[in-house]
Amino acid sequence: MEKLKVIIDGRECEAIKDQCVLDVARENGIPIPALCYNPEVKTSGGSCRVCLVEAHQGGWMRLVTSCNYPVRKGLEIKTNTDLVHKIRRGVLELLRARVPDSDVIKKLALEEGITEPRFKKDEGEDNRYKCIACALCAQVCEEVVGVSAISMQNRGADKQPGTPYHKPSNVCIGCGACVYVCPTNAISMKETGDIRRIWSRDFKMAKCSMCSKPYIPEAQIDWIVKTTGKARAFFDKCPDHR
Amino acid sequence: MGAIASIEQLGKYREQIKANVKEDLPTVLICFGTGCQANGARNVAEAFTKIIKDQGLNLDVNIGLKTTGCHGYCENGPLVALRPQGILYLKVKPDDVSEIVEKTIKAGEVVDRLIYKDKQTEKTIAKYREIPFYKHQQRIALRNIGNIDPTNIDDYILQGGYAGLAKVLKMEPDAIISEVEKSGLRGRGGGGFPTGVKWRSCKAVPSDTRYVICNGDEGDPGAFMDRSIMEGDPHAVIEGMIIGAIAVGAHQGYIYVRDEYPLAVKNLAIAIKSAREKGFLGKNILGSSFAFDIKISRGGGAFVCGESSALMRSVEGKVGEPRAKYIRSVEKGLYDEPTVLNNVETWANVPEIIVKGADWYASLGTKGSKGTKVFSLVGKVNNTGLVEVPMGISIRKLVEEIGGGVLSGKRFKAVQTGGPSGGCIPERLSDLPIDFDSLTDAGSMMGSGGIIVMDEETCMVDVAKYFIGFLVGESCGKCTPCRDGLRRMLDVLIEITEGRGKETDVAVLEELCDVLTWGALCGLGTSAANPVLSTIKYFREEYDAHINDKQCPAGVCKALITYSIDAEACTGCTLCAKKCPQKCITGERKKTHVIDTEQCIKCGVCKDVCNFNAVRVA
Repeated sequence: MEKLKVIIDGRECEAIKDQCVLDVARENGIPIPALCYNPEVKTSGGSCRVCLVEAHQGGWMRLVTSCNYPVRKGLEIKTNTDLVHKIRRGVLELLRARVPDSDVIKKLALEEGITEPRFKKDEGEDNRYKCIACALCAQVCEEVVGVSAISMQNRGADKQPGTPYHKPSNVCIGCGACVYVCPTNAISMKETGDIRRIWSRDFKMAKCSMCSKPYIPEAQIDWIVKTTGKARAFFDKCPDHR
Repeated sequence: MGAIASIEQLGKYREQIKANVKEDLPTVLICFGTGCQANGARNVAEAFTKIIKDQGLNLDVNIGLKTTGCHGYCENGPLVALRPQGILYLKVKPDDVSEIVEKTIKAGEVVDRLIYKDKQTEKTIAKYREIPFYKHQQRIALRNIGNIDPTNIDDYILQGGYAGLAKVLKMEPDAIISEVEKSGLRGRGGGGFPTGVKWRSCKAVPSDTRYVICNGDEGDPGAFMDRSIMEGDPHAVIEGMIIGAIAVGAHQGYIYVRDEYPLAVKNLAIAIKSAREKGFLGKNILGSSFAFDIKISRGGGAFVCGESSALMRSVEGKVGEPRAKYIRSVEKGLYDEPTVLNNVETWANVPEIIVKGADWYASLGTKGSKGTKVFSLVGKVNNTGLVEVPMGISIRKLVEEIGGGVLSGKRFKAVQTGGPSGGCIPERLSDLPIDFDSLTDAGSMMGSGGIIVMDEETCMVDVAKYFIGFLVGESCGKCTPCRDGLRRMLDVLIEITEGRGKETDVAVLEELCDVLTWGALCGLGTSAANPVLSTIKYFREEYDAHINDKQCPAGVCKALITYSIDAEACTGCTLCAKKCPQKCITGERKKTHVIDTEQCIKCGVCKDVCNFNAVRVA
C-alpha cells in the first residue's frame, strides 16, 4: 500500500493511493454530504452527485464525486467553494422535486438553503417518491448478500429498483440489507408477528430460543448455512443472547 | 485457397487477383447501402442480371456487375456507377436498365435523364467525380466504399488491403504507435482524443491481457458514417484493429455494433470469417507468431452504450451504464483489463496511415485536427448524404458548395453539429473551419460528424426542445443531473414553446445547464446542455420573443402562431380548401378564402400547397 499526502481544504491529510477522497476527508473530520456511497459496498457511489468536490490536479480543476475519486499524488481537494455549493444546490433541488416525501432530502436541501424546489414536485403514493434511484440497494444485494434479488430497472426518470417483473423474487432471502443501506428510507419492510414482508413477499422469521423474538428470516439462515458452512445451531439465539 | 502463410505470399496473391482483372471490362456498380436497398437497388440488380442472361452476355467476360457499399449520395438512390466511363446514374429504376445496357455499356453514350442535374443552374453532369457533391471530397476512411464488393475479400486485397498489416508485422510495436501519434489522428467518435497517445498509455500498463474494441454503436439521429464504413468496407475496420492489436499487444478484439444495423452486422460477420480463412485473423497471422481474433457484440438499442464505459459493460453482458472514468479504460477497461476503444472511422483510417505514412496524413487538415472527416450532411440542404472532406473546411463551403445550398432558396440560418448533445452554430459564423477545437470553442462539438442544416423556418427553441427530448429518452438514469435535470429542462422548454414561458426561464435553464455540465457522470450528461446553451448564446432573441411577446418568429411553435390568407395574394383557386384536413377554409372560386382559426390545427398543409404564397403565418 502506497501512502501519500493529499490536501483537503488546505489541510495535509494522509491517504493510501487510490483510496477515495470521501473516506480520507471523513477520517480527517472534514464533512462532505453523501447519499449513495457506502464504504462496505465497493460498487456503490457516483450516482447521487451530492458529494461533489473540486479536484485540482496537474494544472486543471474539475468537479468530481469524492466517493469514488481515487487519491493520487499531487491532488488538492476543495470541499467548500462557491462552485461546489452551487452545483450541489442544483442537484438537491432536483432531488427535492423528485422525492418530495423524503425527510432526508428535505433536510439536506435546507442545509443548502433550499426550502421549496422551483420545479413541480413528482406526485404519487408508493415508495418511488422517496427513492433517488441511487442503486445502493441493488448493489448491496448483488455484491454483499450475493443473491441479486433486485436490480435497477428502466431508464431515465423511470429508473427504479425492483424484483424481476415486480413479482415476488424466489431468490430474495428477506435479509433487509437493501432497507438498511437505503439513504432515504425508501424501501418498505414490515413485520407482523413472525412474518416479515419485503418486496411483496412474506418471509417466516426464526425465533430466538432465549427471548422468543422473531429475529431472522429462515430463508436467510438457509442462505448463510449454504454459502458459509456455518452451523445452523448458531442461529438458535439472537445476537443479544449469543 | 487457404490461409496466406507469409507477407511475400500476400503480395503474390494480390498480383494473382490483379492478373485476373480485365482493366477495360465495362462494370456496373450498384449501391447496396441501406438507403439504396430501401429505394429498390435489389430490383435494379436483378434487372441487370436478367438482361445479361437474356442477351447471352457473360458475367466477368463481357460485363462486370458489383454490388457495393454506400456511395453517400443517398437521397438520389438507387445509385448506379459505370466503369470505365466514371458515369453516375441517379434514381435508377429496373425499367431504366435495358437502356443503360444498350446506350452506355454497348455504345458508350450517356442516358441524359439519369444523370445529375443542378437544382439551381439546371446544368447536367455525367461524371461521378465532377458532381459538386463528390468534387470537393477527399476519401480516406471511405476510400474503397462504392468501388468494392464488401463481401468479397479479394476486392479489398486488390485495392491494397492488408498491406498495412503486412507492413506493421515487420515493425516494432513502439514504432507503430509513434507512426499513429505522428499522423495526428484523433478519435472520430466525438471525443477527439489523440489515438496514438491512447494506444501508448494502454501499452504502458502492465498486464497479460489487453483488448481492442471498435465502437460501432452509432446513435446520433441522422448520422450514418460508421454504418456506411461497416457495411461498405468492413475489412478496413478489421485491418485497423489488427494493427492496433499488434501495437498494444492485444489478442482479442470486439466490434460493438448496434443491432439496428443488420447489414453492417452481416457484412462484418462475412468479413471476419473470410479474414480468418485467409490468415489475417486467428493464430499465426500471415505466418507470424502473432494471434488475434475479433468477436461481434451486438448492442440492444441504448444510445448511452456509445459511451465507452457503458459499451464495455454491455460487452460484458451487464446493463449498459457508464461508470466514473477517474481511472481510464486504457488502465482498467473491459473486464478490468487495459483496453483501447476507438470508433469505426478511426480504425478505418489506420491502415491507410500505415501504408502512406504519418507525414502524408499530417499534411491534411488543420494544425490541431489532421486528416479528413466524414460528415453526414442532412437537413434543409439540396444535396444530403455522406461526405468526406479535409478537416478545416468551412461550414459555408460544406453547405453551399458540397451541399448545393439551402433547399428551395430559403435563407440559411444555422447548422447543428455533433449529434444531440452538440450545438447550433449561426450562419454568421459559417466561415468557421470545421475541426475539433473550433467547434468546441463555438459552443458545439465535432461529435461523430453529424451536420444538420437549418433554414429560416427552423425555430431554435423548438430545436433545443427536440434534442433535449431525445436525451431525456436516452438518459440511463444513473446520475441525478442527467436523469432529473434534463426532464426539468424539457418542462421549461415546453412551457416556453407553448406560450407559458416566464421571464426567469432562461436563467433557470442556464442554471440547469451548469448542473449538467459540472455535475453529470458521463459524457452524455456533461455535454447535454449544449443544445440549450448554444441556442441561448446565438439566438437569445428567439427565446425572448417566445417568452415576452408570445411569438415564434420562425412560425413553428403551434401554440404561438396563426394561419391566415392574404387577400391581396389569394386568387381563389380553392386548392387550400380542398386539401385542408379540418375543412376549415372557406371561400368561393376566384374569391379570397378565409381560414377559421378556431378550427385550424395549424398543420401547414394550406401553406405548402398554395401556389401564390398567399398563406401567412404570424
